[in-house]
Amino acid sequence: MKRYMAAIVLASASSATYAVAPGGSDCGWGNMLFDGKSGLGSHFLASTTNGTSGNKTFGMTSGTNGCSTNGTLTYGGDAWVDATQIMDEFSEDVARGQGDALDAVAVMIGVQQQDRETFAQVMHENFTAIFPSEDVTAEEVMASVNNIMKNNDRLAKYAV
Amino acid sequence: MRSFLFLISLLAVMTLATARAVAMDNDYVAILQGDAADKALWERHEWLNLLHYQRSRFAENSFTSSVDDPQFFFSANGKTSPRNEMNATLAAFFKEQDTGNEHAICRFPARLNWLVAHLGIDRQRLPAVECSDYAEWRERVHAGSATLIFPTYQLNSPSSMFGHTLLRLDPVDKDNWSDWLSYAVNFGANISNDDNSLTYVWNGLTGGYPGQFIVMPYFRKIQEYNRIEKRDIWEYRLNLTPEEVGLLTTHLWELKDINFDYYFFTENCSYRLLELLEIARPGVELTDEFVVTAIPVDTVRAIERAGMVDKASYRPSQETIAKKMIRELPEEDYDRLDRVLDQPIADDDRIFQSLPAERQKALFNTAYKLLRLRQNRKQRDPLVARKSHQLLTLLNHYPQAGLPDVQEPVRPESGHHSKRVTFGALRRRGKAYSELGFRMAFHSLEDDDAGYLRGAQINIANFIVRRKSSSGSIVLQQADFADIFSLTPRSRYFNPISWRVRGGLERVFSDGDDRTVGHISGGGGFAWQALEDGTAYTLLTGRLETNSTFTHRIEPALGVSVGGTYSGRIGTGRVEFNGEKFTGGEYRLNLSFTQNMVIARDHALQFHFKREWHTDDNFGEVGLVYHYFF
Repeated sequence: MKRYMAAIVLASASSATYAVAPGGSDCGWGNMLFDGKSGLGSHFLASTTNGTSGNKTFGMTSGTNGCSTNGTLTYGGDAWVDATQIMDEFSEDVARGQGDALDAVAVMIGVQQQDRETFAQVMHENFTAIFPSEDVTAEEVMASVNNIMKNNDRLAKYAV
Repeated sequence: MRSFLFLISLLAVMTLATARAVAMDNDYVAILQGDAADKALWERHEWLNLLHYQRSRFAENSFTSSVDDPQFFFSANGKTSPRNEMNATLAAFFKEQDTGNEHAICRFPARLNWLVAHLGIDRQRLPAVECSDYAEWRERVHAGSATLIFPTYQLNSPSSMFGHTLLRLDPVDKDNWSDWLSYAVNFGANISNDDNSLTYVWNGLTGGYPGQFIVMPYFRKIQEYNRIEKRDIWEYRLNLTPEEVGLLTTHLWELKDINFDYYFFTENCSYRLLELLEIARPGVELTDEFVVTAIPVDTVRAIERAGMVDKASYRPSQETIAKKMIRELPEEDYDRLDRVLDQPIADDDRIFQSLPAERQKALFNTAYKLLRLRQNRKQRDPLVARKSHQLLTLLNHYPQAGLPDVQEPVRPESGHHSKRVTFGALRRRGKAYSELGFRMAFHSLEDDDAGYLRGAQINIANFIVRRKSSSGSIVLQQADFADIFSLTPRSRYFNPISWRVRGGLERVFSDGDDRTVGHISGGGGFAWQALEDGTAYTLLTGRLETNSTFTHRIEPALGVSVGGTYSGRIGTGRVEFNGEKFTGGEYRLNLSFTQNMVIARDHALQFHFKREWHTDDNFGEVGLVYHYFF
């Protein structure tokens, strides 16, 4: 919870810390909004085989984008999920003011049940601050989220 | 001197003590093994399940494990000997040489727990090892309950045609939780990224791929199925207790990085899930009936019959939601929707400002969904990204914009069963026949489509035998390996292609008489919605046929297929005109009308009438058959 936000804030604070940034330097931390889903292959028939390929994972590492668990990236003790993988969905839910991705991020941060409504509303009201342009990176997004929480009475306790 | 002697004797005592301890431990292992032998413990189904042994159908006490990985066995012939594997496992638990995470105790906690319970192993006598990896993983999994996940059918890929099943592990207390963050457990073929679909089909069918369990956050699966694949997802909450989920999870750890056999039809994703559930609830039998095929929806039925399903919920795909949103827009707003999608939006655009706020909101909400849907599978396009962001900013102006409720369709497991037998009678060219048919899987356009995808026909191993009433002669009328027809109507915002692929043997009228030919046929074209429950279609068709009367034995033909289906209250009816001409000059035309009448979920009557025109003859055919699904 708190450590999660700390990790991201630290990471975005200085580019010099990139090498030891949570997730590792190859981690998809810098991904931009509406990042395309490339690399799925252009098979004649649809590519998913319901199987595994490339990024094998057993929940030990986050598995995608080379992210490792050696950083202080955590949520409730789990070191293998990061909100950057659902940036698109999160941005849509913040714009609309409700949704599964919004809830998921709230849980990741540690927002309790009774404060979820406030969280959704506050994020919704601050959409432009969180997502100023389509090129915003995930780090910037989470840093903004953190700042906004800090400035809100009810949510400040979840901020770092 | 004295201290030297003292030291020697101390050393001697210590060595003796250690030797004795080792001997005692070796003795202890022997005792345990003897005890296991007395109880014939390796014959118990829990042990057989944990090691994934399959009983041979031919030899009495012959077993083979479907695990294809030496890492999984301690005995050299562990794959075929439950007895040797148990003895070797017991010995491995007491090995002093291995440490920590590599020790048998840490790698196979499920086996250990079970053996401890059934042999009364004294845990104090086991080597003291710290299983940090296992402990960490277990803590992280939040496994208190389990949900069976079923992404529905999608015709565009062999691996998606029959749907898929995976498992989601949820915490006991879901109040402060989001399903998106749960673990999803997926068994699949471990394919190489370079394989194309044909390689996949071949290797998948012949066991050319290893299969593995992988675990990942559930949202990755939502993204994969709901968004990229545009498939609806059904979620069946299971009534497994936390203890039962614990058994499953403990065993899942044992399967980490372990290679299984993988066969697309039989030992596939769904089959392995059944095995996991059998381990969770010892005594429940789920896999026995799945000998030839394990079609995902059939495995869902088995789980339901075993009383393991609590309730079901429906998660519509992004495409389903977008279609609903489009339907909810007033028709006059379609032009505005096109403008929003295709042209840059100025903030003070009049055509939007004149609309009531609710309609503006619906417009931007729908436009965003459609735009993202169209971007599916494509590389990031900076212009589209800017447009998307713009739409979200506009959408943000309204207090709250939800997504429409999509009515839950009929559940997949409630549809007709997968196999079908047919018998009936017909009259063709003035002669009477009786007919008997069997279809291994799965669904025809005329069958009742409750629980199925409308317009998705999948016929696998479809055989028809006919007997001429007058002479009693019996012929193989049809033997299709596969007949797949994807009929997807086009609309203003969606432009799919409809296609058909079919191959096998069949009797056709050629050169004066009915005769057996081999063929591969296909077609592509378009379909449109006609009335609320009807579809009209036109396809351009091609056929390659081996026919003994052809000059060149094999000839191609080109043709058209025009028809329509209508799903009314009694059942689905279909009209179709086919015409094709072979390079050798032979032509075949036919016009048919088929009406299926649903009697019950697994019973139907089907009537058809057909008129055929050939180079050298024309005649009619009429028939009535009874279908039974099981």
